[in-house]
Amino acid sequence: RLLVSAGVLGHLSRLEVQVRSRKSRPQPQGSRVAELKANAEALRTQAEQLRAEMETHKNLQKLRTSMDRRRTREEDGEEGMDEDSEDSELLRLMARHTQLNDLLYAHHIIGGYNATKTRQGKGLCLSLPTAYDGVFLETYNLEIDVKPALRIARHNIPPFIPLSSLVEQSSMQTDIRTFLDTLSQHLNAFSGRKQQLKLVKELHKSVEVMESNALCSILVLMFTVPKEKTAVLCTLDYTDHTRCLPTRVQFDSEDEALADSPDWNKNRSLLTETPVHKALLAMRKMGNIV
Amino acid sequence: MDDSMKRLLQRLIRRIPAQMLKTTLDKWGRLTAAQKRSMDFTEPKWALTEKLMAIYEENGWTGKHITELEMTYIIDNPNQGMWYAFQLMDPEDDAHSVELTHFKEHFKSHLSELVRPVSIKIKKHTDEAVWIRIAWGDSFSRPNHLKPTYVVHHLQTPYVFVTSLTSKQKPLLSQALVLSTRHQAIKDANLSGRKLGAIRDLLMRQYQQVFPTNYPSPLAERNETVSNPQIEKEQVKCAENRLQMACEAFGDGVLPQLQSSVYKLETKFKDHSNKTMTEREQPFRCVVKFASTNLLESLRHCASSGIASTPVTPLLSSIPLKGRNYFVITDNGPGPSSQTRQTQN
Repeated sequence: RLLVSAGVLGHLSRLEVQVRSRKSRPQPQGSRVAELKANAEALRTQAEQLRAEMETHKNLQKLRTSMDRRRTREEDGEEGMDEDSEDSELLRLMARHTQLNDLLYAHHIIGGYNATKTRQGKGLCLSLPTAYDGVFLETYNLEIDVKPALRIARHNIPPFIPLSSLVEQSSMQTDIRTFLDTLSQHLNAFSGRKQQLKLVKELHKSVEVMESNALCSILVLMFTVPKEKTAVLCTLDYTDHTRCLPTRVQFDSEDEALADSPDWNKNRSLLTETPVHKALLAMRKMGNIV
Repeated sequence: MDDSMKRLLQRLIRRIPAQMLKTTLDKWGRLTAAQKRSMDFTEPKWALTEKLMAIYEENGWTGKHITELEMTYIIDNPNQGMWYAFQLMDPEDDAHSVELTHFKEHFKSHLSELVRPVSIKIKKHTDEAVWIRIAWGDSFSRPNHLKPTYVVHHLQTPYVFVTSLTSKQKPLLSQALVLSTRHQAIKDANLSGRKLGAIRDLLMRQYQQVFPTNYPSPLAERNETVSNPQIEKEQVKCAENRLQMACEAFGDGVLPQLQSSVYKLETKFKDHSNKTMTEREQPFRCVVKFASTNLLESLRHCASSGIASTPVTPLLSSIPLKGRNYFVITDNGPGPSSQTRQTQN
């Protein structure tokens, strides 16, 4: 590994020399000069980084070989040395490394946006996990080109989430965090509504789902009132796509007085304030629906 | 029952394969229990047709019922003929709140204004897809039920899938769709295939996409059976990388079944050993077509086995990335096709 780094460093040094020598010669065009200067700067930073990496590797290698040597000497029965500062230095570094890895993994598990560098730093891949009611649901991903400007290259976000307008509204270029937070809000709300619909279908077989859509922003349910067996059509409008609760609840029934009765007013506020599958449970318990 | 209806029913029953007939009739749900019992599905088709025609008279059905039955059959068995994808562009502010009744009313009224007479049937399928059947007529003839157009649209998405549409009918359908979905334009999505589900899944990204991640991916755990341990040890990193890149380009698991990908080249001929061709002024026109029973799986396998070099060339990875399988490549690079494809006549 050291040999490879030396080769790359050697190349970089040669390029640096080239740039320096070109500096002493008359400059052809201003913009070309600026471009070359910028390139040289970038290469210099890269060379610094590589030198630092190489130093760290060298040190680690030194520490490791001395630790191994000590261990073999101990095994051969020779007198073990006292606690060496180098050993504990290495072990401390290794412990810190493991700790950082665990921290990153913990961040990943609790649903953070994991950023992964791709294509040698030219791209960045972010993951947006969604959850509802303590359960992890779908994870969505964005692959972003970093140069020349931030641009979404690839993603698996469903087409009914208005990704391009969110990019514009949150000015992704300057404030990617806000953009991610807003997108995450939309995605989490969508996952939440989708999950509620799934639970309604599973847990409330007596309630018929008359209409739903891909974005889960409209839900039309058919209730049956016990005893009289009247049918009540309930329309839930989720016009705020960043929320899991409806903005409007409407009842339609043959019995015109029903919608304004105190029982059903209570049902209306229940459906506006609690997730639909839980609201239905409460309504069934109260005997308002079958 | 008039002759044209008789013929329509006959043709429909002939079209439905014997083994699907019972399930289709059951799903349609218009036969009484007694009538269902009277149908013996082991009889030959012509006998069943006669029986159904008798039931038709008995129940007083009309042409509407026959088209309903046809729609039930097609919804369950859509993979007949080619489906073409279209994309709605520039939504108005209220496009995302268009709901079913609004769409149905507006589509019917807009299309009837443009074409008269026309027979339109709209049905919402359980998976949120809206199915539309259109039988086109004109000032000289009644709607032609023998050559209907089928349209599938998922509300709040920009995609529309169409089969059996002629180039004359295309602008009329486009206009009606644009107005009823509150968009400003519609364009050809350059994606076609025999399987409706496949092109829909590709555009709506309903397959397992793979993204680079720092955390162990399930791909790494899926090892192929080791035949020779010596070879495996040397090749394993390369093979893993290829598999990862192949899956990042095309996806993991079961992929949507596309049958072909067409590249129309309009580039200058570049081969220095052939002076005559290279000296020509005009670009060299050539069409390259990849065909397979499952194109995306084949391409993924090419990449993961090393036949195609990785990272996968954008010419191939654009198929799932851009959701299209028709490309026009000019010397300025692959770009949006300036020409629309010919729809069938």
